[in-house]
Amino acid sequence: MTSDSAQQSPISTVSESDSVISTVSQSDPIVDCDSQVRLKKDGERLQLILPPESEIPGAANWSDLWQQLKQRLNGGERFWQENTPVHLMAQDQLLDALKLQAIADALLEIQLQLQRVYTTRRQTAVAAATAGYSVEQQAPTYSLETQPSEPAELLAEPLYLQLTVRSGVEIRHPGTIVILGDLNPGGAVIAAGDIFIWGRLRGVAHAGANGNRTCRIMALQMEPTQLRIADAVARAPGTLPEQIYPEVAYVAPEGIRISKATDFAKTHLLLNS
Amino acid sequence: MSRIIVITSGKGGVGKTTVTSNLGMALARCGRQVALVDADFGLRNLDLLLGLENRVVYTALDVLAGQCRLEQALVKDKRQEGVVLLPAAQNRMKEAVTPAQMKKLLGVLAQKYEYILVDCPAGIEMGFQNAIAAASEALIVTTPEIAAVRDADRVVGLLEAQGIKKIHLIINRLKPAMVQADQMMSVQDVQEILAIPLIGVIPDDERVIISSNRGEPLVLAEQVSLPGIAMNNIARRLEGEKIPFLDLMAEHDSLLNRIRRLFRG
Repeated sequence: MTSDSAQQSPISTVSESDSVISTVSQSDPIVDCDSQVRLKKDGERLQLILPPESEIPGAANWSDLWQQLKQRLNGGERFWQENTPVHLMAQDQLLDALKLQAIADALLEIQLQLQRVYTTRRQTAVAAATAGYSVEQQAPTYSLETQPSEPAELLAEPLYLQLTVRSGVEIRHPGTIVILGDLNPGGAVIAAGDIFIWGRLRGVAHAGANGNRTCRIMALQMEPTQLRIADAVARAPGTLPEQIYPEVAYVAPEGIRISKATDFAKTHLLLNS
Repeated sequence: MSRIIVITSGKGGVGKTTVTSNLGMALARCGRQVALVDADFGLRNLDLLLGLENRVVYTALDVLAGQCRLEQALVKDKRQEGVVLLPAAQNRMKEAVTPAQMKKLLGVLAQKYEYILVDCPAGIEMGFQNAIAAASEALIVTTPEIAAVRDADRVVGLLEAQGIKKIHLIINRLKPAMVQADQMMSVQDVQEILAIPLIGVIPDDERVIISSNRGEPLVLAEQVSLPGIAMNNIARRLEGEKIPFLDLMAEHDSLLNRIRRLFRG
């Protein structure tokens, strides 16, 4: 890995000048945060947005999608009323009657009603109509325009989740992510905005994934595998800190730095105001 | 109501099959009707650990293919009343069975048996999907090693997504002396990561290997052993009894170690 002998700070940092790790950030300059199942408020309704099929190729498609879906639904985010109608934005996902039923059942478990299905695929539309949902079949090109695509600078509303991000789980969101629970090693949280972990941060966190270097990562207990903010990458020092206190990671001119949360407020926030 | 419990781990070699065979015997000793199902198609081991290899005639696949009745495939244990084994096929691959078929099979078993313990294969592919298809509860077996714990963590996530909410943790092959010397993850360390309720800790013991090789589950042994007691306790906790955890550390909690810990802070 990289040498961190010159670094005085509690975390070794890697900037773009370093060839070893900067390749990581160059391979995906803009992280696509829309490639996951999302739940979004739309007036009186909720939109359950599935990623386009091209984003998750391969046979494991449905089981991955299903895991994401269950996670998002059971993540403890409760900004809706009971029996809120849900519009499923299936995009170009191929859903048969069984899969539609599974989604409807999962929604029903948390008192949500699947009402309408938007899709660009004929088979999905037929299956949904047969199952008794109102269907809107869109032409593929049309769906591109109506896709919930915010302008790049505008972040989505924060995503609040109450769960343990376990190994193998990746959470992406084009806004700020708040997690009430631990981020375990092997898990990853990728946000276009800030990341708050109200628990232990032991996995990989990537804030400002679209290139915003002012984003921060905050955790009650910071023991990350790796931290990334915009294009900067840092890994944790080999030794664990003696004392545990909430910390904030931010980008300084020399790379990612970490400071005590209580000090950070004094030195960074008050000066700027 | 019968309970279908899958015993899984993600990583191989952590003791799923050993735990399954011993728990099955221990539950039967509590007077329960237990069916042990080997879901490790192609790499079956459960019959070996139970010492029933030479009595296997038909397998689960034969039942599914309609070549025999389910009762014919079940192997009864002669040492312990109330235990039957449904062996897996050895000559086929995991893809030979579908989750729907597993569900159907276990559904039939559930009519007669109070506990159905499913021995899950390692990995998270088809075999795992088959094993968890019908389960309503899960026991996660892990050893205090980071690789095992990491895989267990992944599996817990998959189980939760599958809607299996009752998940308990078994920590296997703990070496108290190494934990005491800070060379091995402690029970607390493992629990901190996995964040699921603990149902048992089994100490590392050579007798486990001996009993496996002989095909005689430890809980049946006349001389009680520490791992045997631990397995028995897990069975009784499954039954709903409140049993305090064995104090595995006591033996190694010498004055010297206490002083060492004091200096470590």
